[in-house]
Amino acid sequence: MTGETDTIVHIDNVTKRFGSVVAVDRLDMRIMAGEFVTFLGPSGCGKSTTLRMLGGFETPDEGRIVLDGVDVTRKPPNRRDVNMVFQDYALFPHMTVGQNIAFGLELKGEPRDEIDRRMGELLDFLQLSGFRDRSPDQLSGGQRQRVALARALAPDPKLLLLDEPLGALDAKLRGQVQIELKDIQKRTGKTFFFVTHDQEEALTMSDRVVVMNAGRVEQAGTPEDLYFRPESRFVAEFIGETNLIEGTVRGIDKDTIAIDWNGTDVRGVAHGHQPCEGDTVTASLRLENVMCHPRKPARMNAIEGRIVSKLFKGSRTSLDIRIGGHQNTVIHAYMDAGNAAQVADDRLWISWEPERLTVLRD
Amino acid sequence: MTRHTRIVMSVVYWAFVIYLFVPLALMVTMGFKDSKFIGFPIRAWTFDWYATVMQDTQVLAVFGYSMAIAVSTTVLSLIIGTWMATFLGPNMFRGKAIVFALACLPAVIPGIISAIALRIFARLIDIEPGMLAIILGHTVHNVPFVALVVMARLSTQPKSHIEAARDLGADSIVAFFRVTLPYLKPALIGAGIFCMLLSFDDFVRAFFLGGYQPTLPVLIFAKLRSGMSPEINAISTIVLIMTAILGLWAERSMRRLNKGS
Amino acid sequence: MAHAESDTADLGKASAPGGRMNFWGALLQNGAYQTLSNTLFKTQRRQFVMLASLPLLWIVFANLGPIVEMFWIGFLDSYPPKVGYEPKLTFANWAAFFQDRVFIVPFFRTLAFSLIFTVITLLITYPVAYFLAKHVKRKNQLLFLLLLLIPFWVGEIVRTYAIMILLGNNGAVNLVLKSLGLIDRPIPFMYTGFSLGVGIIYLTALYMLLPLYSALEKIPDNYLEAAADLGAGAWTRFRRITLPLSKEGIASGCTLVFLISTGYYATPVLLGGPRSTVFAETIAGFFHVAGDQWPMGAAFSSIMLIATLAATGIFLKLMGRGGKGMIR
Ligand SMILES: Nc1ncnc2c1ncn2[C@@H]1O[C@H](COP(=O)(O)OP(=O)(O)OP(=O)(O)O)[C@@H](O)[C@H]1O
Ligand SMILES: [Mg+2]
Repeated sequence: MTGETDTIVHIDNVTKRFGSVVAVDRLDMRIMAGEFVTFLGPSGCGKSTTLRMLGGFETPDEGRIVLDGVDVTRKPPNRRDVNMVFQDYALFPHMTVGQNIAFGLELKGEPRDEIDRRMGELLDFLQLSGFRDRSPDQLSGGQRQRVALARALAPDPKLLLLDEPLGALDAKLRGQVQIELKDIQKRTGKTFFFVTHDQEEALTMSDRVVVMNAGRVEQAGTPEDLYFRPESRFVAEFIGETNLIEGTVRGIDKDTIAIDWNGTDVRGVAHGHQPCEGDTVTASLRLENVMCHPRKPARMNAIEGRIVSKLFKGSRTSLDIRIGGHQNTVIHAYMDAGNAAQVADDRLWISWEPERLTVLRD
Repeated sequence: MTRHTRIVMSVVYWAFVIYLFVPLALMVTMGFKDSKFIGFPIRAWTFDWYATVMQDTQVLAVFGYSMAIAVSTTVLSLIIGTWMATFLGPNMFRGKAIVFALACLPAVIPGIISAIALRIFARLIDIEPGMLAIILGHTVHNVPFVALVVMARLSTQPKSHIEAARDLGADSIVAFFRVTLPYLKPALIGAGIFCMLLSFDDFVRAFFLGGYQPTLPVLIFAKLRSGMSPEINAISTIVLIMTAILGLWAERSMRRLNKGS
Repeated sequence: MAHAESDTADLGKASAPGGRMNFWGALLQNGAYQTLSNTLFKTQRRQFVMLASLPLLWIVFANLGPIVEMFWIGFLDSYPPKVGYEPKLTFANWAAFFQDRVFIVPFFRTLAFSLIFTVITLLITYPVAYFLAKHVKRKNQLLFLLLLLIPFWVGEIVRTYAIMILLGNNGAVNLVLKSLGLIDRPIPFMYTGFSLGVGIIYLTALYMLLPLYSALEKIPDNYLEAAADLGAGAWTRFRRITLPLSKEGIASGCTLVFLISTGYYATPVLLGGPRSTVFAETIAGFFHVAGDQWPMGAAFSSIMLIATLAATGIFLKLMGRGGKGMIR
């Protein structure tokens, strides 16, 4: 750990209940200054509740929230250097774009010309210069989103909270705004705490993704970590498409784990935990990590299989490949359309780098 | 529905409109009759009654008195009613249904009973019959109307507006004044004008709570008891025109309110 | 020295036009205000108490206070208090009501009149509301409704006066009847239960019309179309669909009209006669005469309040049950 100085937020063992529902369950994590962190998870897993506790809209039942070294657990939203971009943007309808952006600065007691200077900067920065005197309902969805962002950035918060701010945008615009948002975060150097249930959004924008499930953190790591090295079945299944292989651990040597998969020997690795010999385990193998060869390759762990179904998808072909005699021993994979044409008799060989097959925790 | 019933219904509607307008039209007409005697036939016309009213210092004083009561009542009712609405609208607590019912009580109690109860209460808290007592009585009666209108508007305000204000540094008071109050504006205009009308038109409370100085309805009532006269028609017509204008204005701002949400 | 410089710079900034703090910003930065705000709104609970304080006080003192005091005075043998006399508790005021026809007759007349007026108002305004909600094009509805609203903004006294002109011996109705040759001498409409009814209905129709309209307007047209599809005739559709679905509007309209019409005082005085005296006039009588009549007036008002609220309570309960039966 680089030390306390880099930690901007410490969510210290926080629990939040609504009646009998445990919305957030002993959540413990640190957010680094300048980081783009995304909380990702299915609906109702407690993402918004976590974010709202950081904003001061909910009070934790247990634990503390430390912002830049100060315990803010019981401080109201107006006493925290944290600002939020709301899902519906919550722009004040009776104020112009400029007045909306000035709102936080005015309440901080900034003098008028300082407010004007800062607003000019932000309007320029977010390409809103011509819209200062417009009313929010004369703006497009993307522009409103930028105004909400400008308003939240204006008071110069230590942490910016964003609760599914792209939810109200149409799919096309969303892709573009994702890139913009990441760019803005980089250029301002602000810490972004982003909440979404859209995995693609999370993977494209974040420095670090925290996958939540039922109020708990399943796994936190870089997008690549989560995608290629999932620790739990939930993460493997929630993010991207994957093969889940269930088998028994046959042996463990120093780098790899050998698994008996319905009679076929496969090799993989484990992250963050160590299974024992004889354990029944599940392992994940991404579709794109399966290499298909028309002929037997000169590789160690190549396995022969038979194609049981084939779907042409343009640049590539999606395959279901059965291995050995067992009914359930099937691998899904992609293959170049050109290579797929060379496969004779539906017979082919598959292989993967052992570190691509991840043995999961449960 | 058949065409038959449709025609019958439209006839009923227009008959009802005529029923509503004819008496008022008659009343306005009689105000221009050149005779002290109210009734048909009308042989000659005049504007003299209006001239008389305009020069009648008692009428003008009473008019001002009623206006002062209406304005004070409106201000008080808006403040208390809005406070009531922000309390009863968004908050959930045990016994809310009962509190709500009690809050609405003055609006549904029969007028005479409300007036009597307020008269007795004014005595209890040592307020002499007069302006203050009337203002109090009217405010008690009007607060539920304001509260209901404001609650309706409040329920359409996204919760995130207030949260955004708090997030940007406002405490609950500043958030209320800078975000909620502007949002309520059309409702407040509508409810305020409605209060003015209720107070200005009220007879029964003003009658029992008033002192020697009558309000306009009480004055008209007193004049009527000593006989109809075209002067009363002239006063009533002026009141009618004023209330119609105020009412239409209130209606307009309330409609804009509904469109906005 | 640098310090002094920055000081003057600050001063220059503060005095420059537009360089001042926003009012709310200044308020929030003000130390005294911060302390106040912090103590008042320290916890959610305290904030709730602050918010609840004035409304609850108002409800207790302004809404309940007068009624409780009215009941209380009804048990005193003398009020307003006289010097050197200690009022005693008594049931005499309540008992008096049941002992004299002069009191009981107007009481039941008021209830009966109000009931009759309510039913008539319902019968008159239902087709009007139905026409508005179902036959008028949506964009015209506001205009048609407004036409009905305007007369209702005019006050009680002015409208009562208008009815006096309408129904007087030399009023419009008699004029029309006479010119049609239907009558020789004017019919004395005025100062009867009839004139009172015309007046009260004229005053209260809106309170029936609006709830009915909003209930009827909410009924989707396709319900009726679906019923027609299933072969239901106009009457069946009305009885089985429109009526049950507008039940809530009927209930609240009737409640309002009943309660309001029992409470009129000026209108019965001006439009009614000796044979149509209502209880409001009886009650008012106790407060006109100087002297010791307040306790009796208070007791009678309390009796009337209980009676009207009980009547509407029973009515609403019946409507609730009957309505459910109707839907089934
Ligand atoms: N104010 C509240 N009162 C009661 N229960 C609540 C409240 N807020 C949240 N919950 C419950 O807490 C759990 C977590 O809710 P939360 O809003 O944090 O989920 P989320 O991850 O943001 O989901 P979504 O993606 O649907 O927004 C849910 O079961 C929800 O029903
Ligand atoms: Mg959420």
